[in-house]
Amino acid sequence: MDVQEAVAEGAASAENGEVKRDGRKQFSMGPGDILEGKLIYDGSIHADGRVEGEVRVSGNIDVANGATVKALLEGSNVTLKGAVEGAVTARDKLTLGKNARVSGDIQVRRLQIDDGASLNGHVRMGDFEHQASGQ
Amino acid sequence: MSTRRPGSNGANGQDGNSVVLGPKDRLVGQLFIEGDLNVSGTVDGSLEATGDIEISGGGKVTGTVTAYNRLVVGGGASLIGGEVRVARLTVEDGATFTGRVSMGKAEAKEPRAAEPIAEPVEVVIAEPEKPKAKRR
Repeated sequence: MDVQEAVAEGAASAENGEVKRDGRKQFSMGPGDILEGKLIYDGSIHADGRVEGEVRVSGNIDVANGATVKALLEGSNVTLKGAVEGAVTARDKLTLGKNARVSGDIQVRRLQIDDGASLNGHVRMGDFEHQASGQ
Repeated sequence: MSTRRPGSNGANGQDGNSVVLGPKDRLVGQLFIEGDLNVSGTVDGSLEATGDIEISGGGKVTGTVTAYNRLVVGGGASLIGGEVRVARLTVEDGATFTGRVSMGKAEAKEPRAAEPIAEPVEVVIAEPEKPKAKRR
């Protein structure tokens, strides 16, 4: 049986924070990690540490408590628990946790804001015109 | 034994004043409340409360909302806001929420202490120096 080159890649990518879970890809960052630039990813991302630039994923975005994000974020379900500066698009639901500090315009289908969260920006809700995103 | 004023329900506002707009109530215009406000009816206009504002049930608010303390938008409620200025904000899943949100202490227009008047600064106009006798 051919054990694909993915094994070698898998070993390398595990160190890059890429973990396969339930057959869906998850890009997972730790508190000391830094991502700068543009990431378009077919899967979900757990963002921690520092993120700057643009992140568009087909799955979910999860920004950890303590993370600093200065980026455009787009995902299906977006859960923010850290500090985020930039536009946020949730194709399904956006959740702001109690420690979230968000500054930027947000566009969502569903929205939940927990007490304690802070938000400064314009909120648009409903079905949005399909932009030339990852789709 | 109640020393509470009529209408007082011991809600969060310091003065305990609370106003409720029920499901069949409708307001068009401006409303300012010293205390808390609960809306499960329809409001078209602007709301301002020194305490909390809660839009609950099937409440529908279209317009500007200012809560010096907390704004809660319930799961079946809707806020199509122009400007939303609050200190604390809770939006429950299922709520309809649109608008420009400003949060933070400075954003809620709390009555602020008057700014200290700048002390007049004494202006000393230096006398033109007498031209010194040229040396050398």
